[in-house]
Amino acid sequence: MKKLFLSAAFAALTLVSCNNEGSAVNTVETMKTPQMENFDKAFKSLGDPQNRPTEEERKRNTSELSERRKALLVPASKELILSTGVTEAELTRKTGGDMSQIIVWATQIYMQKSDEIRKNIKSDK
Amino acid sequence: MIVNNYSTTYDFQGNISAHNFAGGCYPYVTSSTPAAITVPANSHTGNGQELAYKNFRDQFTGSLYPTTNWTVQLSPTTSQVRAWNHVSIAPGGVIASNVKWASSQFQMYFAGTSTPEPSFSGLIGESPDPCTGATGYISTPYGDAEWFNITTGNVDYSYLQIY
Repeated sequence: MKKLFLSAAFAALTLVSCNNEGSAVNTVETMKTPQMENFDKAFKSLGDPQNRPTEEERKRNTSELSERRKALLVPASKELILSTGVTEAELTRKTGGDMSQIIVWATQIYMQKSDEIRKNIKSDK
Repeated sequence: MIVNNYSTTYDFQGNISAHNFAGGCYPYVTSSTPAAITVPANSHTGNGQELAYKNFRDQFTGSLYPTTNWTVQLSPTTSQVRAWNHVSIAPGGVIASNVKWASSQFQMYFAGTSTPEPSFSGLIGESPDPCTGATGYISTPYGDAEWFNITTGNVDYSYLQIY
């Protein structure tokens, strides 16, 4: 049964990959680095039930993302920054460990990389 | 400004506004063409289909969901429609430098249809904000919408996320 399922899954994958031939290699989604993918996942995870804002967080007098939820974005942000060759020491020195600075820096790297990917896709066509 | 529509059931349709926060509410700039920007279901940074606006101008050439015209109010009684490339709303100009992303009036529709989910809608944005009266979090049985910022001394990113 398991084998049957696997071969069905494989057949489906083959179909999908054939359908996308030519375009599969050339989408922003497929050209992202693993660190960019994890950064995406971190933002999506803010919607997981346990990560949504609590009643108290919603009543705060600001729209700034809460410290608790910023902390959910920090590991992927650090990973993305370090993937560009920045060292841990530099990261600490430049951000002072401030979560917002880490996330903003990572976002800037993310946007720059996305732009580069989009440009590459355009020049391929 | 980033809009991530993680909902797999509903398309997002709405406008996006920015205004001055440093006293008074003007300039006040709202996307007006198209009347509603559509960010389809399951369109987010994860698959490269997010709405990302850097400023009033560059969004037109750089985003997947271009806004052609912005309505610019300089006071409660003066309103002008400006094309995306009009010099008055260019980055670094007086208007662009004195406003920040603030809110979105939106309605969710069943994906690919014009059938709305009536209660999954609202005015979401910076909160509290006396200029808009928007709420920062909207929770419905069909999904949630939230607006948040991540801010440092010189950078301010605004996010609208639909779950």
